Amino acid sequence: MNFPTSLTYWSHFVAVAMFALGLLGFLLRKNTIVVLMCIELMLNAVNLLLIETSMRTNTPDGIILVVFVVTVAAAEVAVGLGIVLNLYRLKGSVNLDHFKSLQG
Amino acid sequence: MREILFVAFSLFTIGAASGVFLARNPVYSAFSLILSFFGLSGLYLLWGSTFMAMIQILIYTGAIVVLFVFVVMLLNLQVNRENPSNLLTLGISAGAVWFFSLILLRVLTRAIPNKIPEIPTDQLRTISKLLFTRYLWPFEVLSLFLLVMIIAIFAITRTQEIPHGGEQR
Repeated sequence: MNFPTSLTYWSHFVAVAMFALGLLGFLLRKNTIVVLMCIELMLNAVNLLLIETSMRTNTPDGIILVVFVVTVAAAEVAVGLGIVLNLYRLKGSVNLDHFKSLQG
Repeated sequence: MREILFVAFSLFTIGAASGVFLARNPVYSAFSLILSFFGLSGLYLLWGSTFMAMIQILIYTGAIVVLFVFVVMLLNLQVNRENPSNLLTLGISAGAVWFFSLILLRVLTRAIPNKIPEIPTDQLRTISKLLFTRYLWPFEVLSLFLLVMIIAIFAITRTQEIPHGGEQR
């Protein structure tokens, strides 16, 4: 087997592996807080890819996009954890399997 | 030297990221997330993006993960002993994710052009100039978005207890 040796390839590999780990956690974990953390992991994988590409191709637009992503991620976490707090107050649990009815 | 640092930071980041997914206790997940973000910050430094490395540590580990830890400790959850998923689900999910990752990696290595940078583009001056010229409208929309989010959080987390005979709703 001949492995590609360029740093670019392996950087993509790291980003994709991180995204895959986040996706696995998103699909498999039952704790809502951990699921939110896995979403953060996926966002960060995309950030890594954007920054690497932006620095390599010498275009600053990717970094602007990352700034936007970070802002939206922070807001998303705040809202998500607020919803988790309310759900815990309603149901007494943060297990995703316990949230079955749309009607509160 | 660069390669060694790259391998070290990559292994650190991926190891900590798998810790997020594997840890039973959400507090350990959160601390693993912090470690993973530090590794990512090192990778950003390695690519020459000092600004984003700083932002990563300041915003992600300073604000977002602290929020996670705060909520985990506020809820005071006990570690659940139940089996989170059976082996079949794990196998199917891992296979699907592996397949998806292969396709993604293939597409990425084809789609992104390969060019060597001459000057570092990660100067604060460049970023802020772009933010206020070419990306002015997205920037303004982002500020509106943050305002909407603040109102939404207030609406969601407000305690709904109405005293009897009270006028406020």
